[in-house]
Amino acid sequence: MAIIKRAEARAYLTPLVGFLLLFLGFPAVINLIYSVSTVDFQTLRSPTLSGFGNYVSVLADRDFWRATSFSLRFGILTAMIECLLGLFLAIFLAPLLSKRSALMAPLMLPLMVAPAMIGLMYRLVLHEFAGPVPYYLFMWFGDSPAFLDVSHALWTLIVVETLQWTPFAFLLFYMAYVAVPIDVREAAALDGASPIKTLWFVELPLMLPTLVIAFFIRFIDGFRVFDNVYALTGSGAGGSTTSLSIYIYQAFFKEGAIGKAVAASVVLFLTSLIVLYGLNWLAGRRRRGP
Amino acid sequence: MINALRWIVFTVAALAMNFPVIVTLVTSFKSARELSINPGLWINQPTFENYLRVLTQTDRFNIYSYLWNSTVASLIGTGLAILLAFPAAYAIARSEVGKHTLLPVVINLRAVPLIIFAIPLYMMYQFLGLLDTQLGLGLILTIVNTPLALVILVNAISDVPLELDEAARVDGASSWQIMVSIIRPVVRPAMVTTFIFGFITAWNEFLFGLMLTTNKAVPMTVGASFFFAASGGGVQWGTASAVMILGALPPVLLGLLMYRQISGSMTAGAIKG
Repeated sequence: MAIIKRAEARAYLTPLVGFLLLFLGFPAVINLIYSVSTVDFQTLRSPTLSGFGNYVSVLADRDFWRATSFSLRFGILTAMIECLLGLFLAIFLAPLLSKRSALMAPLMLPLMVAPAMIGLMYRLVLHEFAGPVPYYLFMWFGDSPAFLDVSHALWTLIVVETLQWTPFAFLLFYMAYVAVPIDVREAAALDGASPIKTLWFVELPLMLPTLVIAFFIRFIDGFRVFDNVYALTGSGAGGSTTSLSIYIYQAFFKEGAIGKAVAASVVLFLTSLIVLYGLNWLAGRRRRGP
Repeated sequence: MINALRWIVFTVAALAMNFPVIVTLVTSFKSARELSINPGLWINQPTFENYLRVLTQTDRFNIYSYLWNSTVASLIGTGLAILLAFPAAYAIARSEVGKHTLLPVVINLRAVPLIIFAIPLYMMYQFLGLLDTQLGLGLILTIVNTPLALVILVNAISDVPLELDEAARVDGASSWQIMVSIIRPVVRPAMVTTFIFGFITAWNEFLFGLMLTTNKAVPMTVGASFFFAASGGGVQWGTASAVMILGALPPVLLGLLMYRQISGSMTAGAIKG
Protein backbone atom coordinates (compact mmCIF):
# COMPACT_ATOMS: atom_id res chain seq x y z
CA MET A 1 0.00 0.00 0.00
CA ALA A 2 2.65 2.45 1.06
CA ILE A 3 4.10 3.70 -2.19
CA ILE A 4 6.58 6.16 -0.69
CA LYS A 5 9.11 5.44 2.02
CA ARG A 6 8.47 6.57 5.58
CA ALA A 7 11.45 8.89 5.60
CA GLU A 8 10.32 10.56 2.40
CA ALA A 9 6.77 10.89 3.66
CA ARG A 10 8.08 12.57 6.81
CA ALA A 11 10.05 15.01 4.69
CA TYR A 12 6.88 15.94 2.78
CA LEU A 13 5.03 16.55 6.03
CA THR A 14 7.80 18.63 7.58
CA PRO A 15 6.98 22.07 6.11
CA LEU A 16 3.35 21.86 7.22
CA VAL A 17 4.19 20.49 10.66
CA GLY A 18 6.87 23.13 11.17
CA PHE A 19 4.48 25.88 10.17
CA LEU A 20 1.76 24.60 12.51
CA LEU A 21 4.21 24.27 15.41
CA LEU A 22 5.44 27.81 14.90
CA PHE A 23 2.02 29.44 14.50
CA LEU A 24 -0.12 27.28 16.77
CA GLY A 25 2.12 25.12 18.95
CA PHE A 26 4.33 27.97 20.14
CA PRO A 27 1.36 30.28 20.87
CA ALA A 28 -0.31 27.44 22.79
CA VAL A 29 2.76 27.11 25.02
CA ILE A 30 2.88 30.88 25.52
CA ASN A 31 -0.80 30.76 26.45
CA LEU A 32 -0.15 28.14 29.12
CA ILE A 33 2.82 30.02 30.59
CA TYR A 34 1.20 33.45 30.58
CA SER A 35 -2.03 32.09 32.03
CA VAL A 36 -0.18 31.24 35.26
CA SER A 37 1.89 34.43 35.30
CA THR A 38 1.56 38.06 36.27
CA VAL A 39 2.13 40.10 33.17
CA ASP A 40 1.24 43.45 31.65
CA PHE A 41 2.26 45.38 28.56
CA GLN A 42 5.39 46.72 30.31
CA THR A 43 6.71 43.32 31.38
CA LEU A 44 5.53 41.49 28.29
CA ARG A 45 8.69 39.49 27.71
CA SER A 46 9.44 38.67 31.32
CA PRO A 47 6.32 37.20 32.93
CA THR A 48 6.51 36.22 36.59
CA LEU A 49 5.00 32.88 37.54
CA SER A 50 2.18 33.45 39.98
CA GLY A 51 0.04 30.33 40.14
CA PHE A 52 -3.58 30.06 39.17
CA GLY A 53 -4.72 33.55 40.11
CA ASN A 54 -5.68 34.40 36.53
CA TYR A 55 -7.91 31.33 36.31
CA VAL A 56 -9.51 32.17 39.63
CA SER A 57 -10.24 35.72 38.54
CA VAL A 58 -11.67 34.53 35.21
CA LEU A 59 -13.85 31.88 36.80
CA ALA A 60 -15.02 34.37 39.42
CA ASP A 61 -15.82 37.01 36.82
CA ARG A 62 -19.55 37.34 36.32
CA ASP A 63 -18.96 38.77 32.84
CA PHE A 64 -17.11 35.61 31.85
CA TRP A 65 -20.09 33.44 32.74
CA ARG A 66 -22.42 35.90 31.08
CA ALA A 67 -20.35 35.66 27.89
CA THR A 68 -20.27 31.86 28.15
CA SER A 69 -24.02 31.78 28.57
CA PHE A 70 -24.51 34.09 25.59
CA SER A 71 -22.23 31.97 23.42
CA LEU A 72 -23.97 28.75 24.48
CA ARG A 73 -27.48 30.06 23.89
CA PHE A 74 -26.45 31.67 20.62
CA GLY A 75 -24.66 28.52 19.40
CA ILE A 76 -27.44 26.08 20.29
CA LEU A 77 -30.34 28.21 19.08
CA THR A 78 -28.76 29.21 15.76
CA ALA A 79 -27.57 25.66 15.05
CA MET A 80 -31.04 24.25 15.72
CA ILE A 81 -32.91 26.84 13.67
CA GLU A 82 -30.44 26.65 10.79
CA CYS A 83 -30.60 22.86 10.64
CA LEU A 84 -34.41 22.75 10.79
CA LEU A 85 -34.85 25.47 8.16
CA GLY A 86 -32.08 24.02 6.00
CA LEU A 87 -33.57 20.55 6.15
CA PHE A 88 -37.02 21.82 5.24
CA LEU A 89 -35.69 23.88 2.32
CA ALA A 90 -33.49 21.03 1.04
CA ILE A 91 -36.33 18.52 0.95
CA PHE A 92 -39.14 20.84 -0.09
CA LEU A 93 -37.18 22.60 -2.83
CA ALA A 94 -35.35 19.54 -4.15
CA PRO A 95 -37.80 18.88 -7.02
CA LEU A 96 -37.43 22.51 -8.08
CA LEU A 97 -33.64 22.65 -7.82
CA SER A 98 -32.79 19.31 -9.39
CA LYS A 99 -34.06 20.59 -12.74
CA ARG A 100 -32.71 24.16 -12.49
CA SER A 101 -29.30 24.32 -10.88
CA ALA A 102 -29.08 28.09 -11.52
CA LEU A 103 -31.57 28.53 -8.67
CA MET A 104 -28.81 27.43 -6.28
CA ALA A 105 -26.91 30.66 -6.86
CA PRO A 106 -29.16 33.03 -4.87
CA LEU A 107 -29.38 30.48 -2.05
CA MET A 108 -25.60 30.22 -1.84
CA LEU A 109 -24.83 33.92 -2.19
CA PRO A 110 -25.01 34.76 1.56
CA LEU A 111 -22.16 32.30 2.17
CA MET A 112 -19.84 34.38 -0.01
CA VAL A 113 -20.31 37.62 1.92
CA ALA A 114 -18.11 38.32 4.94
CA PRO A 115 -20.04 37.92 8.22
CA ALA A 116 -18.51 41.21 9.36
CA MET A 117 -19.93 42.90 6.23
CA ILE A 118 -23.33 41.35 6.88
CA GLY A 119 -23.19 42.75 10.41
CA LEU A 120 -22.42 46.21 9.04
CA MET A 121 -25.19 45.90 6.46
CA TYR A 122 -27.72 45.19 9.20
CA ARG A 123 -26.70 48.44 10.90
CA LEU A 124 -28.20 50.08 7.83
CA VAL A 125 -31.14 47.68 7.50
CA LEU A 126 -32.21 48.22 11.13
CA HIS A 127 -31.29 51.90 11.48
CA GLU A 128 -34.25 53.87 12.81
CA PHE A 129 -34.01 56.66 10.20
CA ALA A 130 -32.14 55.17 7.24
CA GLY A 131 -33.20 51.53 7.53
CA PRO A 132 -36.04 50.04 5.48
CA VAL A 133 -37.21 47.62 8.19
CA PRO A 134 -38.14 50.29 10.80
CA TYR A 135 -39.45 52.46 7.94
CA TYR A 136 -41.92 49.83 6.74
CA LEU A 137 -42.84 48.74 10.26
CA PHE A 138 -43.68 52.35 11.12
CA MET A 139 -45.63 52.75 7.90
CA TRP A 140 -47.65 49.55 8.30
CA PHE A 141 -47.96 49.14 12.05
CA GLY A 142 -47.11 52.59 13.39
CA ASP A 143 -44.37 51.15 15.61
CA SER A 144 -41.00 49.48 15.38
CA PRO A 145 -39.07 47.71 18.14
CA ALA A 146 -35.55 48.82 19.09
CA PHE A 147 -33.87 45.81 17.52
CA LEU A 148 -30.53 46.29 19.25
CA ASP A 149 -31.55 47.07 22.85
CA VAL A 150 -31.08 44.65 25.74
CA SER A 151 -34.38 42.83 25.37
CA HIS A 152 -34.19 42.29 21.59
CA ALA A 153 -30.49 42.13 20.74
CA LEU A 154 -30.07 38.37 21.25
CA TRP A 155 -32.93 37.50 18.93
CA THR A 156 -31.94 40.11 16.37
CA LEU A 157 -28.46 38.58 16.24
CA ILE A 158 -29.88 35.07 16.06
CA VAL A 159 -31.98 36.06 13.06
CA VAL A 160 -28.97 37.73 11.41
CA GLU A 161 -26.77 34.67 11.93
CA THR A 162 -29.50 32.25 10.92
CA LEU A 163 -30.36 34.02 7.68
CA GLN A 164 -26.72 34.01 6.62
CA TRP A 165 -25.84 30.42 7.56
CA THR A 166 -29.02 28.45 6.88
CA PRO A 167 -27.69 28.13 3.31
CA PHE A 168 -24.74 26.17 4.69
CA ALA A 169 -26.96 23.59 6.37
CA PHE A 170 -29.28 23.61 3.36
CA LEU A 171 -26.39 22.87 0.99
CA LEU A 172 -25.12 19.91 3.05
CA PHE A 173 -28.65 18.48 3.41
CA TYR A 174 -29.49 18.99 -0.24
CA MET A 175 -26.39 17.07 -1.33
CA ALA A 176 -27.14 14.29 1.16
CA TYR A 177 -30.77 14.16 0.03
CA VAL A 178 -29.86 13.97 -3.65
CA ALA A 179 -27.29 11.27 -2.84
CA VAL A 180 -29.94 8.86 -1.48
CA PRO A 181 -29.77 6.03 -4.05
CA ILE A 182 -32.68 5.99 -6.46
CA ASP A 183 -33.27 2.22 -6.02
CA VAL A 184 -33.76 2.73 -2.28
CA ARG A 185 -36.51 5.23 -3.04
CA GLU A 186 -38.03 2.94 -5.66
CA ALA A 187 -37.98 -0.02 -3.28
CA ALA A 188 -39.81 2.04 -0.66
CA ALA A 189 -42.37 3.14 -3.27
CA LEU A 190 -42.87 -0.49 -4.42
CA ASP A 191 -43.54 -1.50 -0.84
CA GLY A 192 -46.34 1.05 -0.86
CA ALA A 193 -44.72 3.61 1.45
CA SER A 194 -46.17 7.10 1.24
CA PRO A 195 -43.76 9.98 0.52
CA ILE A 196 -43.99 11.03 4.18
CA LYS A 197 -43.16 7.52 5.37
CA THR A 198 -40.32 7.23 2.87
CA LEU A 199 -38.94 10.48 4.19
CA TRP A 200 -39.24 9.50 7.85
CA PHE A 201 -38.14 5.86 7.71
CA VAL A 202 -35.78 5.80 4.72
CA GLU A 203 -34.38 9.17 3.68
CA LEU A 204 -33.94 10.88 7.06
CA PRO A 205 -32.08 7.93 8.65
CA LEU A 206 -29.75 7.90 5.66
CA MET A 207 -29.15 11.64 6.12
CA LEU A 208 -28.62 11.36 9.87
CA PRO A 209 -24.79 11.52 9.83
CA THR A 210 -24.97 14.72 7.77
CA LEU A 211 -27.52 16.16 10.20
CA VAL A 212 -25.25 15.51 13.16
CA ILE A 213 -22.18 16.93 11.42
CA ALA A 214 -24.02 20.04 10.24
CA PHE A 215 -25.41 20.66 13.72
CA PHE A 216 -21.99 20.44 15.34
CA ILE A 217 -20.27 22.64 12.75
CA ARG A 218 -22.95 25.27 13.09
CA PHE A 219 -22.92 25.01 16.89
CA ILE A 220 -19.16 25.50 17.06
CA ASP A 221 -19.27 28.43 14.64
CA GLY A 222 -22.12 29.98 16.60
CA PHE A 223 -20.42 29.38 19.94
CA ARG A 224 -17.23 31.18 18.90
CA VAL A 225 -19.09 33.95 17.03
CA PHE A 226 -17.26 37.25 16.71
CA ASP A 227 -17.46 39.03 13.35
CA ASN A 228 -21.13 39.82 12.79
CA VAL A 229 -21.91 40.40 16.47
CA TYR A 230 -18.94 42.72 16.87
CA ALA A 231 -19.74 44.60 13.67
CA LEU A 232 -23.43 44.99 14.51
CA THR A 233 -23.57 45.65 18.24
CA GLY A 234 -20.01 45.57 19.56
CA SER A 235 -20.40 44.16 23.03
CA GLY A 236 -23.64 46.03 22.72
CA ALA A 237 -26.67 46.67 24.84
CA GLY A 238 -24.92 46.82 28.20
CA GLY A 239 -22.64 43.88 27.47
CA SER A 240 -25.60 41.58 26.85
CA THR A 241 -24.21 40.46 23.48
CA THR A 242 -20.64 39.79 24.57
CA SER A 243 -19.70 36.37 23.19
CA LEU A 244 -16.72 34.50 24.61
CA SER A 245 -14.59 35.58 21.67
CA ILE A 246 -15.53 39.21 22.23
CA TYR A 247 -14.86 38.79 25.97
CA ILE A 248 -11.29 37.62 25.25
CA TYR A 249 -10.77 40.35 22.68
CA GLN A 250 -11.91 43.08 25.07
CA ALA A 251 -10.00 41.75 28.05
CA PHE A 252 -6.83 42.01 25.99
CA PHE A 253 -7.29 45.08 23.80
CA LYS A 254 -9.59 47.25 25.89
CA GLU A 255 -8.60 46.39 29.47
CA GLY A 256 -5.02 45.25 28.84
CA ALA A 257 -5.72 42.35 31.21
CA ILE A 258 -3.36 39.94 29.46
CA GLY A 259 -3.37 37.26 32.15
CA LYS A 260 -7.17 37.20 32.29
CA ALA A 261 -7.52 37.12 28.50
CA VAL A 262 -5.00 34.31 28.18
CA ALA A 263 -6.58 32.27 30.99
CA ALA A 264 -9.98 32.67 29.33
CA SER A 265 -8.36 31.48 26.07
CA VAL A 266 -7.10 28.33 27.78
CA VAL A 267 -10.52 27.67 29.29
CA LEU A 268 -12.10 28.05 25.84
CA PHE A 269 -9.40 25.82 24.34
CA LEU A 270 -10.01 23.05 26.87
CA THR A 271 -13.77 23.31 26.38
CA SER A 272 -13.45 22.98 22.61
CA LEU A 273 -11.06 20.04 23.07
CA ILE A 274 -13.65 18.25 25.20
CA VAL A 275 -16.40 18.92 22.64
CA LEU A 276 -14.15 17.75 19.80
CA TYR A 277 -13.08 14.65 21.70
CA GLY A 278 -16.71 13.77 22.27
CA LEU A 279 -17.55 14.35 18.64
CA ASN A 280 -14.66 12.22 17.39
CA TRP A 281 -15.55 9.48 19.86
CA LEU A 282 -19.09 9.55 18.47
CA ALA A 283 -17.82 9.40 14.90
CA GLY A 284 -15.41 6.57 15.76
CA ARG A 285 -18.16 4.57 17.42
CA ARG A 286 -20.34 5.04 14.36
CA ARG A 287 -17.57 3.74 12.10
CA ARG A 288 -16.98 0.67 14.27
CA GLY A 289 -20.67 0.23 15.02
CA PRO A 290 -23.08 -2.33 13.51
CA MET B 1 -50.28 23.53 -7.17
CA ILE B 2 -47.59 22.27 -4.77
CA ASN B 3 -45.06 23.46 -7.35
CA ALA B 4 -46.41 27.01 -7.04
CA LEU B 5 -45.91 26.69 -3.30
CA ARG B 6 -42.32 25.61 -3.89
CA TRP B 7 -41.71 28.68 -6.01
CA ILE B 8 -43.15 30.91 -3.30
CA VAL B 9 -40.99 29.30 -0.59
CA PHE B 10 -37.93 29.59 -2.82
CA THR B 11 -38.58 33.28 -3.51
CA VAL B 12 -39.23 34.14 0.13
CA ALA B 13 -36.10 32.27 1.26
CA ALA B 14 -33.90 33.84 -1.40
CA LEU B 15 -35.17 37.35 -0.61
CA ALA B 16 -34.89 36.94 3.17
CA MET B 17 -31.38 35.47 3.06
CA ASN B 18 -30.12 38.15 0.69
CA PHE B 19 -32.09 40.98 2.26
CA PRO B 20 -29.13 42.91 3.75
CA VAL B 21 -27.28 42.72 0.42
CA ILE B 22 -30.35 43.91 -1.49
CA VAL B 23 -30.91 46.84 0.89
CA THR B 24 -27.25 47.83 0.69
CA LEU B 25 -27.28 47.63 -3.10
CA VAL B 26 -30.39 49.81 -3.30
CA THR B 27 -29.03 52.33 -0.82
CA SER B 28 -25.72 52.61 -2.68
CA PHE B 29 -27.60 54.15 -5.63
CA LYS B 30 -29.45 56.77 -3.57
CA SER B 31 -28.35 60.35 -3.00
CA ALA B 32 -28.05 61.56 0.58
CA ARG B 33 -31.06 63.81 0.01
CA GLU B 34 -33.25 61.01 -1.27
CA LEU B 35 -32.17 58.70 1.54
CA SER B 36 -33.34 61.18 4.17
CA ILE B 37 -36.89 61.17 2.83
CA ASN B 38 -37.06 57.66 1.35
CA PRO B 39 -35.44 54.75 3.22
CA GLY B 40 -37.67 52.29 1.34
CA LEU B 41 -36.72 49.67 -1.20
CA TRP B 42 -37.30 51.68 -4.37
CA ILE B 43 -35.09 54.38 -5.88
CA ASN B 44 -36.62 57.59 -7.27
CA GLN B 45 -33.48 59.05 -8.80
CA PRO B 46 -30.66 56.52 -9.16
CA THR B 47 -27.22 58.08 -8.88
CA PHE B 48 -23.61 56.93 -9.08
CA GLU B 49 -22.38 59.72 -6.84
CA ASN B 50 -21.68 57.37 -3.91
CA TYR B 51 -19.44 55.13 -5.99
CA LEU B 52 -17.74 58.17 -7.51
CA ARG B 53 -17.05 59.61 -4.07
CA VAL B 54 -15.66 56.33 -2.73
CA LEU B 55 -13.41 55.84 -5.74
CA THR B 56 -12.14 59.42 -6.07
CA GLN B 57 -12.05 60.94 -2.57
CA THR B 58 -9.42 58.74 -1.00
CA ASP B 59 -7.66 61.19 1.30
CA ARG B 60 -9.26 59.93 4.54
CA PHE B 61 -10.19 56.35 3.75
CA ASN B 62 -8.47 54.78 0.79
CA ILE B 63 -10.55 51.91 -0.54
CA TYR B 64 -7.85 50.96 -3.07
CA SER B 65 -5.46 50.28 -0.22
CA TYR B 66 -8.01 48.06 1.60
CA LEU B 67 -8.77 46.15 -1.60
CA TRP B 68 -5.07 45.74 -2.35
CA ASN B 69 -4.25 44.59 1.21
CA SER B 70 -7.05 42.04 1.11
CA THR B 71 -5.91 40.79 -2.29
CA VAL B 72 -2.26 40.35 -1.29
CA ALA B 73 -2.98 38.82 2.12
CA SER B 74 -5.59 36.46 0.65
CA LEU B 75 -3.24 35.37 -2.14
CA ILE B 76 -0.50 34.62 0.41
CA GLY B 77 -2.96 32.89 2.72
CA THR B 78 -4.34 30.70 -0.05
CA GLY B 79 -1.19 30.04 -2.07
CA LEU B 80 0.95 29.17 0.95
CA ALA B 81 -1.76 26.92 2.38
CA ILE B 82 -1.85 24.92 -0.86
CA LEU B 83 1.95 24.88 -1.08
CA LEU B 84 2.23 23.45 2.44
CA ALA B 85 -0.77 21.13 2.21
CA PHE B 86 -0.05 19.54 -1.17
CA PRO B 87 3.15 17.59 -0.28
CA ALA B 88 1.64 16.71 3.09
CA ALA B 89 -1.53 15.48 1.40
CA TYR B 90 0.56 13.40 -1.01
CA ALA B 91 2.46 11.81 1.88
CA ILE B 92 -0.76 11.12 3.83
CA ALA B 93 -2.57 9.64 0.82
CA ARG B 94 0.34 7.45 -0.30
CA SER B 95 1.77 6.26 3.02
CA GLU B 96 0.62 5.55 6.54
CA VAL B 97 2.56 8.49 7.96
CA GLY B 98 0.45 11.33 9.30
CA LYS B 99 -2.85 9.58 8.72
CA HIS B 100 -3.61 8.94 12.37
CA THR B 101 -2.25 12.03 14.09
CA LEU B 102 -1.59 14.96 11.78
CA LEU B 103 -4.70 14.62 9.61
CA PRO B 104 -7.22 14.45 12.49
CA VAL B 105 -5.45 17.25 14.36
CA VAL B 106 -5.53 19.55 11.35
CA ILE B 107 -9.14 18.68 10.52
CA ASN B 108 -10.16 19.50 14.09
CA LEU B 109 -8.41 22.85 13.78
CA ARG B 110 -11.41 23.89 11.71
CA ALA B 111 -13.44 23.68 14.89
CA VAL B 112 -11.01 25.33 17.31
CA PRO B 113 -11.82 29.00 17.92
CA LEU B 114 -8.66 30.60 16.57
CA ILE B 115 -9.03 33.57 18.92
CA ILE B 116 -7.36 31.49 21.61
CA PHE B 117 -4.09 31.83 19.67
CA ALA B 118 -4.63 35.49 18.93
CA ILE B 119 -2.94 37.02 21.97
CA PRO B 120 0.36 35.07 21.78
CA LEU B 121 0.38 35.66 18.03
CA TYR B 122 -0.07 39.37 18.62
CA MET B 123 2.91 39.41 20.98
CA MET B 124 4.95 37.23 18.60
CA TYR B 125 4.14 39.57 15.71
CA GLN B 126 5.12 42.58 17.76
CA PHE B 127 8.48 40.95 18.42
CA LEU B 128 9.00 39.94 14.76
CA GLY B 129 7.79 43.24 13.31
CA LEU B 130 4.93 41.52 11.50
CA LEU B 131 2.17 43.67 13.00
CA ASP B 132 0.31 45.69 10.41
CA THR B 133 1.94 43.94 7.43
CA GLN B 134 0.32 42.12 4.52
CA LEU B 135 2.71 39.20 5.04
CA GLY B 136 1.75 38.89 8.71
CA LEU B 137 -1.95 38.80 7.90
CA GLY B 138 -1.31 36.37 5.03
CA LEU B 139 0.51 33.94 7.34
CA ILE B 140 -2.49 33.86 9.71
CA LEU B 141 -4.85 33.33 6.80
CA THR B 142 -2.68 30.35 5.84
CA ILE B 143 -3.51 28.79 9.21
CA VAL B 144 -7.20 29.48 8.62
CA ASN B 145 -7.10 27.81 5.20
CA THR B 146 -4.91 24.81 5.98
CA PRO B 147 -7.58 22.39 7.29
CA LEU B 148 -9.81 22.67 4.22
CA ALA B 149 -6.84 22.58 1.82
CA LEU B 150 -5.48 19.42 3.42
CA VAL B 151 -8.84 17.62 3.45
CA ILE B 152 -9.68 18.46 -0.18
CA LEU B 153 -6.21 17.52 -1.42
CA VAL B 154 -5.98 14.26 0.56
CA ASN B 155 -9.35 13.20 -0.85
CA ALA B 156 -8.36 14.19 -4.37
CA ILE B 157 -5.02 12.35 -4.27
CA SER B 158 -6.61 9.26 -2.72
CA ASP B 159 -8.93 9.14 -5.73
CA VAL B 160 -5.98 9.01 -8.14
CA PRO B 161 -5.37 5.33 -9.10
CA LEU B 162 -2.21 3.88 -7.52
CA GLU B 163 -1.34 2.32 -10.89
CA LEU B 164 -0.31 5.77 -12.10
CA ASP B 165 2.32 6.03 -9.34
CA GLU B 166 3.47 2.46 -9.86
CA ALA B 167 3.88 2.83 -13.61
CA ALA B 168 5.98 5.96 -13.09
CA ARG B 169 8.00 4.23 -10.40
CA VAL B 170 8.77 1.35 -12.81
CA ASP B 171 9.99 3.98 -15.27
CA GLY B 172 12.42 5.13 -12.58
CA ALA B 173 10.71 8.30 -11.39
CA SER B 174 11.41 9.50 -7.84
CA SER B 175 8.54 10.20 -5.49
CA TRP B 176 9.18 13.94 -5.88
CA GLN B 177 8.91 13.62 -9.68
CA ILE B 178 5.72 11.60 -9.32
CA MET B 179 4.25 14.21 -7.02
CA VAL B 180 5.15 17.17 -9.20
CA SER B 181 4.63 15.86 -12.72
CA ILE B 182 2.00 13.13 -12.31
CA ILE B 183 -0.15 13.83 -9.26
CA ARG B 184 -0.16 17.63 -9.52
CA PRO B 185 -1.71 17.86 -13.01
CA VAL B 186 -4.31 15.20 -12.15
CA VAL B 187 -5.53 16.97 -8.99
CA ARG B 188 -5.50 20.41 -10.60
CA PRO B 189 -9.30 20.79 -10.41
CA ALA B 190 -9.16 20.09 -6.66
CA MET B 191 -6.45 22.71 -6.33
CA VAL B 192 -8.61 25.26 -8.13
CA THR B 193 -11.54 24.47 -5.83
CA THR B 194 -9.24 24.80 -2.81
CA PHE B 195 -7.96 28.09 -4.12
CA ILE B 196 -11.42 29.57 -4.66
CA PHE B 197 -12.78 28.39 -1.28
CA GLY B 198 -9.60 29.57 0.43
CA PHE B 199 -9.57 32.96 -1.22
CA ILE B 200 -13.18 33.62 -0.23
CA THR B 201 -12.51 32.53 3.35
CA ALA B 202 -9.37 34.66 3.54
CA TRP B 203 -11.04 37.71 2.04
CA ASN B 204 -13.93 37.48 4.46
CA GLU B 205 -11.79 37.04 7.59
CA PHE B 206 -12.28 39.83 10.11
CA LEU B 207 -10.96 39.00 13.59
CA PHE B 208 -7.24 38.85 12.80
CA GLY B 209 -7.48 41.77 10.43
CA LEU B 210 -8.96 43.76 13.29
CA MET B 211 -6.31 42.74 15.79
CA LEU B 212 -3.13 42.57 13.75
CA THR B 213 -3.50 45.59 11.47
CA THR B 214 -3.97 49.25 12.27
CA ASN B 215 -3.07 51.32 9.26
CA LYS B 216 -0.85 50.06 6.42
CA ALA B 217 -2.22 46.54 6.01
CA VAL B 218 -5.89 47.02 6.90
CA PRO B 219 -8.03 44.53 4.90
CA MET B 220 -11.37 45.34 3.29
CA THR B 221 -13.60 43.85 6.01
CA VAL B 222 -11.98 46.06 8.65
CA GLY B 223 -11.67 49.07 6.34
CA ALA B 224 -15.39 48.96 5.62
CA SER B 225 -16.16 49.40 9.31
CA PHE B 226 -14.13 52.66 9.32
CA PHE B 227 -16.82 54.23 7.15
CA PHE B 228 -19.32 53.57 9.93
CA ALA B 229 -17.20 55.17 12.61
CA ALA B 230 -16.95 58.37 10.55
CA SER B 231 -17.62 61.28 12.88
CA GLY B 232 -19.39 64.53 12.08
CA GLY B 233 -23.03 64.30 11.06
CA GLY B 234 -23.26 60.54 11.56
CA VAL B 235 -22.78 57.75 9.06
CA GLN B 236 -22.94 58.59 5.35
CA TRP B 237 -25.18 55.65 4.48
CA GLY B 238 -24.88 56.01 0.72
CA THR B 239 -21.09 56.06 0.84
CA ALA B 240 -20.90 53.23 3.34
CA SER B 241 -23.22 51.15 1.14
CA ALA B 242 -21.09 51.69 -1.94
CA VAL B 243 -18.01 50.62 0.05
CA MET B 244 -19.69 47.44 1.23
CA ILE B 245 -20.86 46.52 -2.26
CA LEU B 246 -17.37 47.06 -3.70
CA GLY B 247 -15.78 45.17 -0.81
CA ALA B 248 -18.15 42.21 -1.09
CA LEU B 249 -17.86 41.94 -4.86
CA PRO B 250 -14.59 39.95 -5.26
CA PRO B 251 -15.58 36.94 -3.13
CA VAL B 252 -19.13 36.98 -4.49
CA LEU B 253 -17.92 36.92 -8.09
CA LEU B 254 -15.47 34.12 -7.26
CA GLY B 255 -18.23 32.28 -5.44
CA LEU B 256 -20.52 32.40 -8.44
CA LEU B 257 -17.63 30.93 -10.42
CA MET B 258 -17.29 28.15 -7.87
CA TYR B 259 -20.97 27.42 -7.92
CA ARG B 260 -20.67 26.81 -11.68
CA GLN B 261 -17.82 24.46 -10.97
CA ILE B 262 -19.72 22.56 -8.32
CA SER B 263 -22.72 22.04 -10.55
CA GLY B 264 -20.33 21.20 -13.41
CA SER B 265 -18.61 18.44 -11.47
CA MET B 266 -21.99 17.22 -10.23
CA THR B 267 -23.28 16.75 -13.76
CA ALA B 268 -19.97 15.22 -14.85
CA GLY B 269 -20.35 12.62 -12.10
CA ALA B 270 -23.89 11.91 -13.19
CA ILE B 271 -22.80 11.10 -16.73
CA LYS B 272 -19.96 8.89 -15.56
CA GLY B 273 -22.12 7.01 -13.04
